[in-house]
Amino acid sequence: MSVILLCVLSLVLAGSGTGLHGRNASVSHEYCVLGAGPAGLQMGYFLSRSQRDYIILERNAGPGSFFQIYPRHRKLISINKIYTGRRNKEFNLRHDWNSLLSDRPNLLFKRISQELYPNADDFPRYLSTFVKELGLKVKYGADIGRIKASDFNGNQGYILTDQNGVSYQCSVLLVSTGLWVPQQVDFLGSDLVEGYESIPTDPEEFKDQAVLILGKGNSAFETAQSILGRASRIHLYSPSPVRLAWQTHYVGDLRAVNNELLDTYQLKSLDGLVEGRLEDIAIVRREKDGGKRRTVTGQNLPGFHTDNFSLRQPYDRVVRCLGFRFNFSIFDGSARPPQSSGARGRLPGITAWYEGRGMPNMFVLGTAAHSRDYRMSAGGFVHGFRYTVRAVHKILEQRYHNIAWPATKLPISQLQSWILRRVNEASGLYQMFGVLGDIILLRGSYCEYLEEFPLQAVPQLSALSGQPLTDHGLLVLVMQYGLNRTDTLGPGRAESEWTKAWRSNFLHPVLYYYNTLPTDKDMRQRPVGWPLPRPESVHHMVEDFLTEWDQPISHSQPLRRFLEHCLQTDLRAFYAESCFLLSLTSRTPPLFCRQGYLRKQGIVGNSHLWQHAREAGLMADHHGHITPGHDTSVSEYLKHADAAVVSTMNFDL
Amino acid sequence: MCIVYLIAFLFSLTSEQCSSKLIEDSSQSFMERMHTGKTSFIYFGNHVNPTIKLFMEQLEMSADALQDYGISVVKVNCSEDAIANYCTGEKLMTKAYLFRGSEVLRSFDIDTVFDVNAIVSHVLFSVLFNEVRYVHTPAELLRVESAAKQNSDIVVGHIPVLGLPEHRALMEAAFVYGTKYQFVQTTGTLVLKHMGVVDPSSSQAWLWFLHCKGVSRRSDPCPSIPMRKPLNTINIHTFLQLMEAPLVTEAVLDPSDVDVVHMHLGVPVLYLFSQLQTQQLDWATAQTLALQLRGEVGVVVIHRDGPNVKTSLKYNAAYRLPQEDVKYFTLNSAEGVVKLFKEELLQEHKFEDEEEDEEHWSDLDILDDEVSESVYRDRDLMLDLESVIELTSDTFQITVTQNDITVVLFYFKWDAVCMAFIQSYIEVADALEGMNGVKLAAVNCGEWTDICSDHNVTSFPTVLIYRPMAAAQLYKGMLGTKSLHRFILLSLVSNPYLLSSSAEVMSFLEGDLYSKHMYLTPVRVLGLFSSTHDMGVTSFEEAARLLRGETILGLFAHKEAEQWVEGLSVNLPALLVSRSPGVPYEVYSLPSSSPTDLVSLIKQVELDRFPELTVENLPWYLELGKPLLLLFIGKEDSTESMKALAEIKQLLSSGQLDSFLPCWIHLGRTPVGRSILEKYLGFVPPLPVLVMSRLKTGEEVFLFPPERPLMAKNILQWIHDVENGQEQPAGLIPDGKWGPPVPFFDFLAIMDQEAPTYAAQRAPKMKTGGREDHREQKHGTPNQRQTPHPSPNPQAPRQHSEL
Repeated sequence: MSVILLCVLSLVLAGSGTGLHGRNASVSHEYCVLGAGPAGLQMGYFLSRSQRDYIILERNAGPGSFFQIYPRHRKLISINKIYTGRRNKEFNLRHDWNSLLSDRPNLLFKRISQELYPNADDFPRYLSTFVKELGLKVKYGADIGRIKASDFNGNQGYILTDQNGVSYQCSVLLVSTGLWVPQQVDFLGSDLVEGYESIPTDPEEFKDQAVLILGKGNSAFETAQSILGRASRIHLYSPSPVRLAWQTHYVGDLRAVNNELLDTYQLKSLDGLVEGRLEDIAIVRREKDGGKRRTVTGQNLPGFHTDNFSLRQPYDRVVRCLGFRFNFSIFDGSARPPQSSGARGRLPGITAWYEGRGMPNMFVLGTAAHSRDYRMSAGGFVHGFRYTVRAVHKILEQRYHNIAWPATKLPISQLQSWILRRVNEASGLYQMFGVLGDIILLRGSYCEYLEEFPLQAVPQLSALSGQPLTDHGLLVLVMQYGLNRTDTLGPGRAESEWTKAWRSNFLHPVLYYYNTLPTDKDMRQRPVGWPLPRPESVHHMVEDFLTEWDQPISHSQPLRRFLEHCLQTDLRAFYAESCFLLSLTSRTPPLFCRQGYLRKQGIVGNSHLWQHAREAGLMADHHGHITPGHDTSVSEYLKHADAAVVSTMNFDL
Repeated sequence: MCIVYLIAFLFSLTSEQCSSKLIEDSSQSFMERMHTGKTSFIYFGNHVNPTIKLFMEQLEMSADALQDYGISVVKVNCSEDAIANYCTGEKLMTKAYLFRGSEVLRSFDIDTVFDVNAIVSHVLFSVLFNEVRYVHTPAELLRVESAAKQNSDIVVGHIPVLGLPEHRALMEAAFVYGTKYQFVQTTGTLVLKHMGVVDPSSSQAWLWFLHCKGVSRRSDPCPSIPMRKPLNTINIHTFLQLMEAPLVTEAVLDPSDVDVVHMHLGVPVLYLFSQLQTQQLDWATAQTLALQLRGEVGVVVIHRDGPNVKTSLKYNAAYRLPQEDVKYFTLNSAEGVVKLFKEELLQEHKFEDEEEDEEHWSDLDILDDEVSESVYRDRDLMLDLESVIELTSDTFQITVTQNDITVVLFYFKWDAVCMAFIQSYIEVADALEGMNGVKLAAVNCGEWTDICSDHNVTSFPTVLIYRPMAAAQLYKGMLGTKSLHRFILLSLVSNPYLLSSSAEVMSFLEGDLYSKHMYLTPVRVLGLFSSTHDMGVTSFEEAARLLRGETILGLFAHKEAEQWVEGLSVNLPALLVSRSPGVPYEVYSLPSSSPTDLVSLIKQVELDRFPELTVENLPWYLELGKPLLLLFIGKEDSTESMKALAEIKQLLSSGQLDSFLPCWIHLGRTPVGRSILEKYLGFVPPLPVLVMSRLKTGEEVFLFPPERPLMAKNILQWIHDVENGQEQPAGLIPDGKWGPPVPFFDFLAIMDQEAPTYAAQRAPKMKTGGREDHREQKHGTPNQRQTPHPSPNPQAPRQHSEL
């Protein structure tokens, strides 16, 4: 119903928009993507592939303009690992953090740069190539200053107005504006502080200066690192201690690429880290030539009272490196999403399926959508949000075009190998750990496999995916880091025993089995630190040093047994001969025989393999018979007779 | 006999005064001992080394224990008193002897009697040699049973290893209770199986009580009750007391006032309230329950009409655990109560089970999948993929268009089924190597995932056949060397073969055309149409293409086609089937239908009417869903077998077996047939054997009486008898569910145990996510410089991991 309405609507709007390009001109599109950064272009690609009516609006003259300026010291810290020893394209994306997703095998970032940490200028270049080769519809120079909600035939739509007064009527608004507004904190003297966005990048400018940097994130350390050889003293001040990405597994925390200052701090080379509330500080300019005394006196300074106060020495410069926030100001009251409850309210609040809270038909993509997995996963970074964008696109297809979430139908006997395949190559699960998960809808003898669904939206699975639910239950495959209770580099940091897999610390696959779909309430009350509610049963596949989960004893067999438990059926594989025997001697042979052998696709094997199976006692041996009929019982008897002989030997000597 | 010993024990008690019960004999006292006729266990030694020292310690302890049974433990120092025969020879030092008077009952190697348990058990076993029966086989046990019926009860002990504490406990019990019960000792696993132990390979000791005394008829079996506790003296004693206790006790008191022996033995008691009206029924229920719970729970029936019974009417049952108060409940079903006790109240047993499970988990590292295990055993074997081209994204397209036929296997290296099949695949490739126009290739989907998704391969392994300018054809046959090899060779034949004259038709049907394919399949199927303009021709051609590799099809669309069906009851278009040269053709009319329907029709007419079942062809025949009339013939093609085949063929052609699928298995070519017979009948009778098995409709298997000759009329009579229910089934086909083969390894349960709140849902009123925690983090006090310590408590969220 709504699909038809939308189509009609877009026709009408398109008609009214043609021809006029001056003032009060109006253009309408089914989808408006705001911002031609990586997230906007990624969405553009999916919209273009599904041949939707869309436009990407960009205020600057080229894509990815954020990266024209940032990072200020021009070194991207997203890993561009071009050699992995593998040719699996999906797997290689696990180690390519800059490329966007497309069906062009050569449209990868490695075409632009071979550096592990590429130059920031390469990224806009890559994005331009992406736009050009895929022919994405981007309108540059359209600076949207105002967004307001409007009713389009009963559905909420959005009207965007640019600097020239051109208005864009959008049935669906996709906000991928990124984070542009530098985060500021108000305190006495905050006007004396320089911002990361405007500091000079030439280290010489900091020659022999004492520098206080507010913040302990990557931008703070990046700044510190660049001036390390010139500044006399660098102190980093912020409320929380440094969090190291290699300890927390969160790439937004301090990356080792930028952490030289930790060395100079710990080796007492005049640099240091200090914790304290930003609101609690005051900065006062000291006039060099004994100018008029201002309100600050010696007694106001902490050093007056505590003689060893850490920050008692004056600084030549104070630099603010506190990150960025979402620009709420372009949204009219009618269209403004609320502030997120997490991430200090810097981001818009969104639902589990990335729709603005209380803002139907407005979706937030990219870094701005990081409130869903802030400080937890990779949704704020290109290598993460390229997958959430893909997920959102699938949701759009279902909601507005009634095209269900793509599902692969698999016979149950193939499920284990399919899971192993995903676990061993899927990049979306790997990058968006704990956020996107594969859903397996069990349907009796077969199942439907849905890839990379937003886990928090699982209670709305049916409505969002368009896949009907049955009462056979479902499995969810997630990649997760573990409890992380041990020293990251210390002994016992890795678990190798599959029976203790739930104590794995590194990224490893976890399967959740539910009889029925978890409800919103279940989801809200899920165990602390878990991505999903407590399931009927759970299976952890033990972490692997090589991230190859393909070993028969530690990985495949425990997985098979978990699936057997969930499905309450024997999932072992049998050679055709065993199936032959079982098909004639039981009314329902095992699943593998039913879905393979009895469909004339039995796995025959050869005598060499049968020999192994017989020696292992797993396959019936009927070839060794010499005298028909009595062999087994005779050999059985001999075996026991032996035992009896042994035991009586104790008596007579 | 043991009373005698006990008296002897009293004597020895008065005569022995010293603290250590180990006596040291001189030659004098030894000679005196030889005359007393008492039983003594004597060790002769001359010096002490560390091994002997240990043994002496154990000997001293055993002196204490054996004293209770009137057996003296003695050592003789040969260096002081050289006693003839014993203090000399090589066996000195390593032997100990059991004497009754001067007679040596038995000598022991000191390795056998290595510790106090071993000494006591072996000595007692020797002394009780006539009382305790030693059995090896179920048959021997049954003999003991039948001798004991209506006479005495039997205690059967299974001791996996002699000389361990369990053995001692059993022997000590036998010593005490030997006159009351017949004791039986067994060591092998045969008896274990007979007693219904599920896992006879475990080295666990067992004890059963066989109630033979009370059997009413000598033909009845003795009801047996297993002891479910570890074999030790106290448990055996308790268990025997329980076995003696009445099955059901009656009382007219309130439960808490009833005194039964079970309470004193630390065993739970179940109370059932009986009413006058239902007395009979209640009594029967109590009996059933008591039988099921015997040895674990005592059962008391309380008559409600008694004046001292005050229990509320809303309960009909109660139970009392040792050292606890009576708990009342309402009994709904006998099974419910048994379940309650077995699964909940007798938890301490469960605990022991868990310990066993602990060991069981180590077995979990053994592969229990025959395909995985056999492939795993080959893990050091490098596959020789020389004859198979490994395709990559770059080479795929070129390769599949270069040859007449490119066979491509899509596989995963870590998938056992794929790796098992790849061995067959290489065998086919080796066999076809050098053949023009055919190439076998493989795609490793773990690496070239894009090729596999592009070709919509969702099942592994998959074999696709590529021909230039044609859509890929899925290989749907058995994944084995023979089937694939035949398929590829038959794929090279153009299908359908267009025949242009009656002479060609003859040559086609008689196998002269494609004679070299005769060994692959002798069957030829011919489509007959009156003209090439017939509507059905295109459909037939399409069907033929779909059947490429499976069936050799000919097409004769010609005005002469008419003469091939002349005189037959079928009009054109028609289908002519030649099963092999020289055999009369079968003819079917060919309805106009879609190619896929034609395919199934052709596949159906191709089926043999009296097939030899093989591993590779069974699925085609099982699909028919008919009961099987299955003839098993031996390896050597005996005349008897030939005759039996002919007899059935005769019945078949007379149309009397239409409701069956008559078929046969040649045990020489299909040796697994023997296992089928064993499963059906429990044994393999002399061949040939005729069996009727109704796989789909019933569970019974009938055996044609071996004494009757396998003649058409006898067979028919037998079938008749079976259908009228006059034949006894010879075996059953179980409708077993194929559940998980091993118990579930429950991570959640382990988490709950090791980190109780880790996997628990949050309480409803708690705030969602850890965002709150964030806030708190942000408001740290200035100047605090500690780095976050990894939390020792799993339920405390890591700063980064909440959402």
